[in-house]
Amino acid sequence: MPPNPTTQKMSLTHKLTEALDSGINQIGQIRILRDSLQLHHIDDTDLDSLEAFDSPDAAREISLYTADGDYRFTKGELSLKKGWILNLTSIEEIRKALDLFYPASLGLWRAHELGTIRVQNLRDKLGRQSGMYRHARNISDNGAQELVQTLCGPANKCVKKILWQIDKDLSLQDSEASRWEGIVPPADATNAIPMVCQEACNFFVAEARKKSKAEFEAKAD
Amino acid sequence: MPQGKLICAMTFSPKPHAALLIVGHGSTENPDSSTPYFDHAREIEKRGVFAEVHCCFWKEEPSMREALYMIDAEEVYIVPDFISEGYFTQEVIPRELELTGPTTRVHKKTIHYCDPVGIHPSMTSLILQRTAEVAPGVPQEESTLFIVGHGTGLNKNSTKAIRDQVELIRTLPDCQFADVQDTYMEEAPFIADWGKIAKTPNVIVVPFFIADGLHSYQDIPMMLGFEKDEGLAASQKDVFRNNPYHLQNKTLYYSAAIGTEPLMADVILDQISSFDAAQSDHSENVAYA
Repeated sequence: MPPNPTTQKMSLTHKLTEALDSGINQIGQIRILRDSLQLHHIDDTDLDSLEAFDSPDAAREISLYTADGDYRFTKGELSLKKGWILNLTSIEEIRKALDLFYPASLGLWRAHELGTIRVQNLRDKLGRQSGMYRHARNISDNGAQELVQTLCGPANKCVKKILWQIDKDLSLQDSEASRWEGIVPPADATNAIPMVCQEACNFFVAEARKKSKAEFEAKAD
Repeated sequence: MPQGKLICAMTFSPKPHAALLIVGHGSTENPDSSTPYFDHAREIEKRGVFAEVHCCFWKEEPSMREALYMIDAEEVYIVPDFISEGYFTQEVIPRELELTGPTTRVHKKTIHYCDPVGIHPSMTSLILQRTAEVAPGVPQEESTLFIVGHGTGLNKNSTKAIRDQVELIRTLPDCQFADVQDTYMEEAPFIADWGKIAKTPNVIVVPFFIADGLHSYQDIPMMLGFEKDEGLAASQKDVFRNNPYHLQNKTLYYSAAIGTEPLMADVILDQISSFDAAQSDHSENVAYA
């Protein structure tokens, strides 16, 4: 089916190009150099000393492990290693690389700006789980709030801005995680693309299942 | 029952306005687990037959819930890069992606949901290619081919996919293998009994998994008898590069997981062609969510 020109929204590459042209130069821990089409860690300053890569696919390998060799299965973790630079040839390649560094973050940012993002509160997310994860729905509100504060946020597994609540009537308790705006300082909304979280991730669900089990066992004791 | 002929890669009609979304399981423990999915995606991307090619996962990012946000195209083909039908392909993926039928109109996109790669008949060609690579020049008539699956009471479909492949290979007119046998880690016939089952001097073992992980790096090699539980990280293992192994008076050739074969990209495209062929007469079956 060919795209319908009357309904097709701006492509993600076009959207990214506009943002970069307006002065955006950061997402997560990555510096985006618009003119030279390069990406590198925001904490690296001597660009000539960095290991150079020339394919957007290198982003997956670079972001797979922390500097200590731990597997980064949540890409929003504040643990991207330093010491590399990606030399790319187009904004399209920058988009591809960023989709590997921070999967779907560009698309979620676009949807958030357009108001089309589909936010799902935690109770709805847990309520539709099946199989071994169906028990996650039994987690208490307090247990869920604790998980947010121990799994989410820059001190833990993720630097995305949390858009969801526990349920429609219960917001997240105030914490660093709940206050986080999805931007790694010192950048701010004028020069960084915020990373947003529209619903709890499956790692959170798995941890909610464990927490629910622990709560059940604690009651039984 | 599958037919006894070798099915070659089908002709694929390019879809320059559509996106391909490959769905994999992924892992929070083993980074090697998702490597094949990205390899398959890059291979298909290189061929330029889709406007976009993306991956998404159950256990990694992007999740299935996030994946559609990455895609500009309005038409999306979803192929589960799974080895069999089962809980994930029949329940989890449709639920997460809000699919209600073979083709679903949802969130302003038209989504086509294909069968998992592992059940496509062209997997047969892949297995035979892999056996030729892992045991070059070894006469088939003096060899037993074992296809190994996990095997569990939880999902009978996983064993069916393997039994279908065994039957397909056995009935190929030019199949010269002395025997082709389905075996499993956790149910009979057990791969651990390979030495008793095989009556030939040569044995070729192909794990029927998408990705290499503990099962193919460590568990099956331990059951075959050439690996001990040394606790090495998966990527440090070298079990596929030390062929052949001489055990139980036989010569054993051990393959990496079938899903790591680069030609899996062709099976993904074949599965899409099969979907289009099956749906061409049922275009009215579009479900609107």
